[in-house]
Amino acid sequence: MQEQKIAIQIDDLTVAYNYKPVLWDIDLAIPEGVLMAIVGPNGAGKSTLIKSILDIINPIAGSVQIYGKPYKKQRSLVAYVPQKGSVDWDFPTTALDVVMMGTYGSLGWIKRPGQKEKKASLEALEKVGMLAFKNRQISQLSGGQQQRIFLARALVQNAAIYFMDEPFQGVDATTEKAIINILKELRKAGKTVVVVHHDLQTVPEYFDWVTFLNVKKIATGPVKDIFNDDNLTKTYGINYKVSIQQ
Amino acid sequence: MNNAQIEIQLIASLVAIACAIPGTFLVLRKMALITDAISHSILPGIVIGFFITHDLSSPLLIILAAASGVITVVLVEFIQKTGLVKEDTAIGLVFPALFSIGIILIAQNANDVHLDIDAVLLGELAFAPFDRLSIGGIDAGPKSLWIIGSIVITTLGLLLAFFKELKISTFDAGLASALGLSPVIMHYGLMTVSSITTVGAFDAVGAILVIALMIAPAATAYLLTNNLTKMLALSVFFGVSSAIVGYWVAHIIDTSISGSMTTVLGLIFLSVYLFAPSKGLFSVLYRQRQQRVEVSLLTFLLHLGNHQEEEERHVKHLNEHINWQKVQSKSVLDLALKNNMITINNDIVSLTDKGKVFTTEAIDYIITNKNSEIENMKDRFFLFRG
Repeated sequence: MQEQKIAIQIDDLTVAYNYKPVLWDIDLAIPEGVLMAIVGPNGAGKSTLIKSILDIINPIAGSVQIYGKPYKKQRSLVAYVPQKGSVDWDFPTTALDVVMMGTYGSLGWIKRPGQKEKKASLEALEKVGMLAFKNRQISQLSGGQQQRIFLARALVQNAAIYFMDEPFQGVDATTEKAIINILKELRKAGKTVVVVHHDLQTVPEYFDWVTFLNVKKIATGPVKDIFNDDNLTKTYGINYKVSIQQ
Repeated sequence: MNNAQIEIQLIASLVAIACAIPGTFLVLRKMALITDAISHSILPGIVIGFFITHDLSSPLLIILAAASGVITVVLVEFIQKTGLVKEDTAIGLVFPALFSIGIILIAQNANDVHLDIDAVLLGELAFAPFDRLSIGGIDAGPKSLWIIGSIVITTLGLLLAFFKELKISTFDAGLASALGLSPVIMHYGLMTVSSITTVGAFDAVGAILVIALMIAPAATAYLLTNNLTKMLALSVFFGVSSAIVGYWVAHIIDTSISGSMTTVLGLIFLSVYLFAPSKGLFSVLYRQRQQRVEVSLLTFLLHLGNHQEEEERHVKHLNEHINWQKVQSKSVLDLALKNNMITINNDIVSLTDKGKVFTTEAIDYIITNKNSEIENMKDRFFLFRG
């Protein structure tokens, strides 16, 4: 591995809910331009890790640097796709409107989105194949379509780093393929993509970098080097066997 | 209409507007219960403010009441954060405590002044025109008109300025926070506005009925639109129309204005709840009935497709074998005939080509849940409308 630029540097990160550690002393350096999966059992702190990087949760110790600076100074470089289940899809709004929310960060306080933001949002909708649904109320969309809308909302941010929390949960096979293709395109364009992922079978096919997490960091590195039964067993506790197609 | 009547209706309408705007966001945030809490627990703030100023329309009352409203929210969140009780329990613990402090303060000290429990609970809009503001000896209208007017202007100003921030922090607080549009500021901002509005609505509808003005118009609007801006506009419309209609109902049958306004609100909600075009009870029931018939139709077509033998395809057989009532069999047969999916010869039912294609496509859709091949059927069949 040559000297790679580090996109995200995490040092000694510890997060606790009610004094119970959820993440314990995490050190992690994510190189620029990787498509990385974070894997680990339920309650391993995968979503918490993303949320602490994004300053949504306050860690009790440690620091996070995005290209050498704290997140607060680098917001414009980062796009975030939360878990689909974290929002109320009965909210009275349309697909296009949700995508436009991705532009709110660069607009800052008070300023309203205009034609430029609308155009960018329509382009993002087209990229995820949802342009035909732009005026559809969001509760009238299928699970896969809702996830595509979320992806479009992140794309419109035109960021350098993308965080996605379980983007494949509850989506159909076609959408999963469509999403992964877009993520691979992002990587090709030099972006860094970090995905909380559940399906271990697809890790070697989808990702080139992986982090094993279970409250502590178990391992991080290229999929071809570290995605093995040993690390899986360490992460998931039980004797884990996964057949890896090489 | 005399001047006092116009003033009363104007005050009531402004109260309705001031309530409908924060109410819309509270309903969308599933925080209707917190309005209930705020509407009660601002009482100690009002009472203490009243003891200091001896004036029910003093700005100090508004400040103190708003503060006790925000304290309620902070206390509820604090208790909830300990993880020992759930949110609804925390709300149920906090507001009766604060409210009862207010009641005791009134009972102890306010016997000789104009602040009785009835006025606190119900408000007395009819008296509002008597308490007038005069600037340099010139009459400038009722005081409460000025108070609620300023609240409406402030609320509208804040709504216009922070519409985008309110929308995103209501829909997706996580993203709002990641983008640096602090959902915490929005949360407490909304709570402060709700508390101030509740105090402003105090004269008009009292501390208790204000909850109806906050929640009912928004809940009604929610059933009628899928657009946040329209929802706000409809909330305001329903609030104002019930205020005015309620006033005249009270005038005609000589009853409490606030009670009558709230009743009108309830009736409007009830009729929308029953008759709203897509989310109303009747249209939901109708849709469910249609879906049931269509599932039966599909079952029936599938049965026909699976059986070539005549006795399995006899009209009478439907009643006995598939275990359907006569009425259901008839409506299913009618639906299939109407869509040219079957033909009936001597009481023997046969699938047409169209019926065969439909069955295959429909089964395929149900199994794969793909949208593309079914788009053209959506208009005719409820089953595929997700």
